[in-house]
Amino acid sequence: MKIINLIMLIAILIISGFSLLYAESGINFSGYFQTDNRALLKGDHTFSWHEYRLDLQLEANPSENTHFYSEFWFRTIGNSKIQKSSDLSDNETIAFSNLYLKEAYLDIYGFLLKDLDIRLGRQRITWGTADKLNPTDNLNSYDLEDMWDFGRHLSSDGLKATYYLGDYELSAVYIPKFAPAVLPGGEWATALSPSFDLPDGLMLRNYSDKIIMPENNLKENSIIGTKFSGIFFNYDLSTSYVYGIDDLPLINKAKFSPVDAFGTIDISAEMIYPKMQIVGFDLAGALGNIGIWAESAIYFPEKIMLSTDLSELGMGIQESIALDDEPYIKYVFGGDYTFTNGIYVNAQYLHGFIHERGNDNLEDYLMFGLEKKFFEDKIKIMPLNGGLEIKDFDDFKENYAVIFMPEITYYPYDNIELLLGAHIIYGTESSTFGKMNDSDDIYVKAKVSF
Amino acid sequence: MKKIIIRTLALLLVSISFTTVWAGETQLNANQILQKVDDVINAPKDQDLKVKLILTDKKGKEKIREMSMLQIGSDKRLVKFLSPAAQKGIAFLSLPDDVMYLYLPAFKKIRRIASHVKNTKFAGTDFTYEDMEAVRYSDKYIPEFVKEEGEHFILHLTPKEGVKTDYSKLIMWIRTDNFYLEKMEHYNKGNKLFKIMIRDKIEKVDGYWIAKETEMNDLKAKHKTKMIIEEVKLDSSIPAKIFTKRNLEK
Repeated sequence: MKIINLIMLIAILIISGFSLLYAESGINFSGYFQTDNRALLKGDHTFSWHEYRLDLQLEANPSENTHFYSEFWFRTIGNSKIQKSSDLSDNETIAFSNLYLKEAYLDIYGFLLKDLDIRLGRQRITWGTADKLNPTDNLNSYDLEDMWDFGRHLSSDGLKATYYLGDYELSAVYIPKFAPAVLPGGEWATALSPSFDLPDGLMLRNYSDKIIMPENNLKENSIIGTKFSGIFFNYDLSTSYVYGIDDLPLINKAKFSPVDAFGTIDISAEMIYPKMQIVGFDLAGALGNIGIWAESAIYFPEKIMLSTDLSELGMGIQESIALDDEPYIKYVFGGDYTFTNGIYVNAQYLHGFIHERGNDNLEDYLMFGLEKKFFEDKIKIMPLNGGLEIKDFDDFKENYAVIFMPEITYYPYDNIELLLGAHIIYGTESSTFGKMNDSDDIYVKAKVSF
Repeated sequence: MKKIIIRTLALLLVSISFTTVWAGETQLNANQILQKVDDVINAPKDQDLKVKLILTDKKGKEKIREMSMLQIGSDKRLVKFLSPAAQKGIAFLSLPDDVMYLYLPAFKKIRRIASHVKNTKFAGTDFTYEDMEAVRYSDKYIPEFVKEEGEHFILHLTPKEGVKTDYSKLIMWIRTDNFYLEKMEHYNKGNKLFKIMIRDKIEKVDGYWIAKETEMNDLKAKHKTKMIIEEVKLDSSIPAKIFTKRNLEK
């Protein structure tokens, strides 16, 4: 209760403070409040998501060539974790809440050179031309907290400098401190993890792991990136390079400990974040009236060995390759079109999803969308949003998943949105999304912008 | 008899020649009129406007939008929404050769948009992306002189070959005294009238003709959008580099 009150107090103070500042010095504040409630379609309709989010954005221009922006999330999220009577006096257990600084940066326009802009602070750097699924967008770590919010990333504390020369621009980014990706929780917690194949006769009782973060110094944490872009032959083209760290952890050590004589074991694992270099290319433009885009990224990972300690089972220590240093390519291409009757369609083909690494592990996805607005744009219907996951073309029947995400949005007044939708998956257990076969849900969201 | 036939033929020939020349002259006049329309609309070297949009539905309910609009010459325009909150920060940049960009603050991303969006409504208004482009009509349309009616020239415009537009025909009412475009009918690809634009409060500002109010009526939806210019600065030396992606998210 105390924390909720504290957050509410901070929010009120900030809003009051912003109002005063706004009146005094032209500071703008805006944002939105959104509720998001989901329940599973199957069984007893268990709540699968429960979030109340207050987004506050604060903007100011301290001087002629500077701009400050910040964005906060105040949230209550998740379901109650009450287990015992003492939990009833702990509001954090009853309803978890948090305050999250999404972005806070200062822009300086024309810094030292009139065509050089810099952005300093916590920032989201969006690279790539594709729709939400961007293989070249590797500077900010993924935020996979909500798997249905494709393309969400964390922001990074860093410096971005962009030099503009006519239709061309050259960006350089330096992020001194690595932040790991936020992994999905709840129903999705295991969906992105590779399956652990145990030797015949062994049964897993407990699994535990330890994350080894990069050493806390500039050398091990730093991420750098550069990008050159411009218009060539009426197409927007860019090429980029990133020297960074894979934001999803990889197991490099596993120890098998026997529990009994019947083959029951415990596994304790160690996970690390491999270094990687990425060379990216993207384009956007039009073919006739159709909008098109394409993006590809060549990943050059460091080689990571997996050491499996089976010595307590009398089989010694086995070494295998967890991640080969062979380069692999992820790519996406797609297009969109609006028909004269107002129907908008969008489709893209993706090779290599967020969590997939190495040439042999990249799957194919066809994502599609269709939307139409009715009644003077008061209602937007997206009946055919979704995708098709193809794990193995040769054995399609056993290796696929179909995802449907129909949604209807009602805009009763300016700044108000009411959404009703569903996430429906049909597929085989071997596919990433197919594992979530039983997690179909329906959701209701409400959003007010201010 | 022979002479009469020869004279009649000669007269006919001369009449046909005159008709052809007259038709050519009219065509030329239509081109000249349209050129003048373009020159008048795009006369200021640059324009810095603050605009209020009033959207009215068929029940008479109104919604208000505000935006800033910068234009340089006749082919570069930058539009930014100032309100309502849900649309604040959305920005649209129109450049020559059908190059258009949209900045959506929620995604922190500048998106190249293709010409298929031209026929879609610009942020819920009755103006489409095509209507919001900076344009010289004479570059995209072939004009035909229809008639002079009262204080207006009436032109009939059809798109030139290869021009990407959703309009099959435009009919313009142009003031004869200053060549200002006062009314325009928009016909869809089925050659059916579906939108009418009417300009009002046409005034001289800093020596240039400006319509302080422009109303677009969607006849099918029975919905209209009135664009009211609240602030106007002309020839304020807006640098050309403002019309780049760099400024979309600023």
